[in-house]
Amino acid sequence: MNSVISAKGLTKRYGKQVAVDNVSFEIPAGRIIGLIGPNGSGKTTALKAILGLAPFEGELKVLGFDPSTQRDELMQQVCFIADVAILPRWLKVKDAVDFVAGVHPKFDRAKAERYLAHTKLKPGMKVKEMSKGMIVQLHLALVMAIDAKLLVLDEPTLGLDIMFRKQFYQNLLEDYFDEDKTIIVTTHQVEEIEHILSDLMFIQDGKIILSASMDEVGERFAEVMVNADKADAARALNPIDERQVFGKSVMLFDGVPRAQLATLGETRNVGIADLFVAKMKGTYA
Amino acid sequence: MNTFKWLMKREYWEHKGGLFWAPTVIGVLMMAMMLVTFVIALGSGKMHGDFTVNGVQMHSLAEMISPADRIQVADGLSTVFVGSAIPLLAVMSFVVFFYYLGALFDDRSNRSVLFWKSLPVSDTATVLSKLATALVVAPLLSLGIATIVGFVLTVLMCACLLVGGVNLFGPVLSNSHTYTLPLEFLASLPVYILWALPTAGWLLMVSAWARTKPFLWAVGVPLVSGGLLSWANAMLSMNWNLQFLWQSVIGRLLLSVLPGSWSFLLEDPSKISADSLDHGSPMVAAWHVMATPQIWIGAVVGIAMIVVAIRLRRFRDEG
Repeated sequence: MNSVISAKGLTKRYGKQVAVDNVSFEIPAGRIIGLIGPNGSGKTTALKAILGLAPFEGELKVLGFDPSTQRDELMQQVCFIADVAILPRWLKVKDAVDFVAGVHPKFDRAKAERYLAHTKLKPGMKVKEMSKGMIVQLHLALVMAIDAKLLVLDEPTLGLDIMFRKQFYQNLLEDYFDEDKTIIVTTHQVEEIEHILSDLMFIQDGKIILSASMDEVGERFAEVMVNADKADAARALNPIDERQVFGKSVMLFDGVPRAQLATLGETRNVGIADLFVAKMKGTYA
Repeated sequence: MNTFKWLMKREYWEHKGGLFWAPTVIGVLMMAMMLVTFVIALGSGKMHGDFTVNGVQMHSLAEMISPADRIQVADGLSTVFVGSAIPLLAVMSFVVFFYYLGALFDDRSNRSVLFWKSLPVSDTATVLSKLATALVVAPLLSLGIATIVGFVLTVLMCACLLVGGVNLFGPVLSNSHTYTLPLEFLASLPVYILWALPTAGWLLMVSAWARTKPFLWAVGVPLVSGGLLSWANAMLSMNWNLQFLWQSVIGRLLLSVLPGSWSFLLEDPSKISADSLDHGSPMVAAWHVMATPQIWIGAVVGIAMIVVAIRLRRFRDEG
C-alpha cells in the first residue's frame, strides 16, 4: 500500500450540479498537501468523500479502506477538522479530553494537556463560555494529540489570530508530522502554509487543474520582473499572468527554462498565492 | 465496552438537565410543598380541616380515628411511593420524548456532528448509546429519586400524624409495600423498555432524517394522516374502524414512552388493569403485558426503525 489515498474517476453530483468531476489522483504517505481552490470548487466535497461523510461515484481507497463501506475501520487511522465543525456548547474542556481519551486508542492525553497549557483554556470551562478562537484552540489541541495516519484539516485556523496560527503550523510540522503521516490542508490563507507544504493541488470547478510537488512548482513556475524594452519578447513566451508593478511588468511563466527567463529581467520563485490567482483567473470574473 | 461507557457519559453530560435536574427539582418541590402544607396545618392550630389520607378524613385526629381507620391510613401511607413516582415518571416521559427528538438532530443542526464523526465511534454505537440513555438511565434516575422522595414524604406524613397524636411509624415502616413498591417498579423496567421501543424508534428515525423541525414531522405526520383518515371516514361514511389506527399505530408511535401507557394503548386493557396500581402489584400488571402480541410487534417495528435511524445517521450527507 504505497498510496494513502487513491482515487479513480471520483465524481460527486448534487442533483445536476457536478461538485467533483471525474477526478483521479494518488497521494503517497509522508506528504503535506495543500488543497487549494476557490469557494464552491469542490474541495470540501472531495474531502467529505475521502472521510466517508458523503456518498460518491467512482473508486476511492483511503489507507486501503473504502470510505463508504469501511468507515468505522478507517476512522481508527484518520482524523479531521471540518471547516464548519463546531464543538457543542455544553462540552467542558476536561470532559472533552476525557471523552477523546476514552474512545480514541491513539490519543495522547499528555500531549493534549501540553497544548492546552499554552492557551487560556481552563479545565472547567464550557465551550459556550469560549471565544471563537478558544474553541478552535481546544479542537486543535484534541486533534493534534491523536496519532492518526491521515489528518485532514479543512480551514483549521479560521478565527485564530496570527500568533496562534503561526504557532499551530509550526507545531504541525515539528511535533506532529513524520514520514508515516499524511496531512491534507485547505485554507484561504495560502501564504501561511506555503513553507510547510510538500505538495500542491489546485482544484477548480470540480477538477484538479494542478497537482505537483513544491519542488516541481519551483522548477516549473517563475516570475520575472520584465524590463520594458523586453516586454514583447517576454509576451511571446506566453506568460500565464501579467501585472504591473512600478511601471514594470511582472509576468508569470509556466515551463520556461530559468536561464531563458533570466535574459528578460530579474527572476524569482512564485508564491502560491500569486500562482493561485493566475491559475484561477476567470473563476471570479 | 469502554467506548460505550464514554458515549453514555457524553449523553449524561449533555442532558444532565433533563435526566437529573428535572426529576430532582420536581422531587424537591414535592417535598417542599408537603412540608409547607404541614407547617401551615400545624400552625393553624392542631390538624383541623381538610386533611385527607387515602380517603379518610381526619379532623382532630387521635380520638377521631378508629383502629380500622388506622390500618387503612397505614396502608395508604405505605403506598406513598406510587404518588411520588407518578409525577416524576410523567416528567420523565416528556424528557425522554424530547431527548429522542433531538438525539440525532441537534448535533446536525449545530454542526458538532462533524466533530463526533471525526472520532473512531461507529454510528451504531452512537445511536444505541442514545437509545439506552433514555430507556435505561432516565427511568433508573427517576425511580431512584422517586424512592428517596417517597421515603421522605412517608416520614413527613407519619411525623405530622405523630404531632396530631397518632403514631403510625410502626405500622407504616413494617408494611412490606413501603419497600417492595419501588422494587416492583424497578422490576417492571424491562417491560417498559420493550414497550417504549416503537416511540423510541420513530422519534430517533425522524431525528436522524429531518433537516428542520423534527417535532412537526414526528408529531404532525401521524396526527395529520390520522385526522385525514378520520375525516374521510366520517364524511364518506366508510365505517372503517379507526380505533386501531389511533390506538395501536399513532398512539404507540407517540405515547409509548409514558410508563404504564399500556393501560390505555392496549385494545383490551381490562386484562391487565385488573391489578390496579395501589392495591395490586404493578409489577404483575406490567409483566402481563409481556403476554400480549402488541408489545412484541411494537418492539420489532421499533427495532426496525432504529436500524433505519442508524443507517440515516451513517449515510445522511451533511451538505
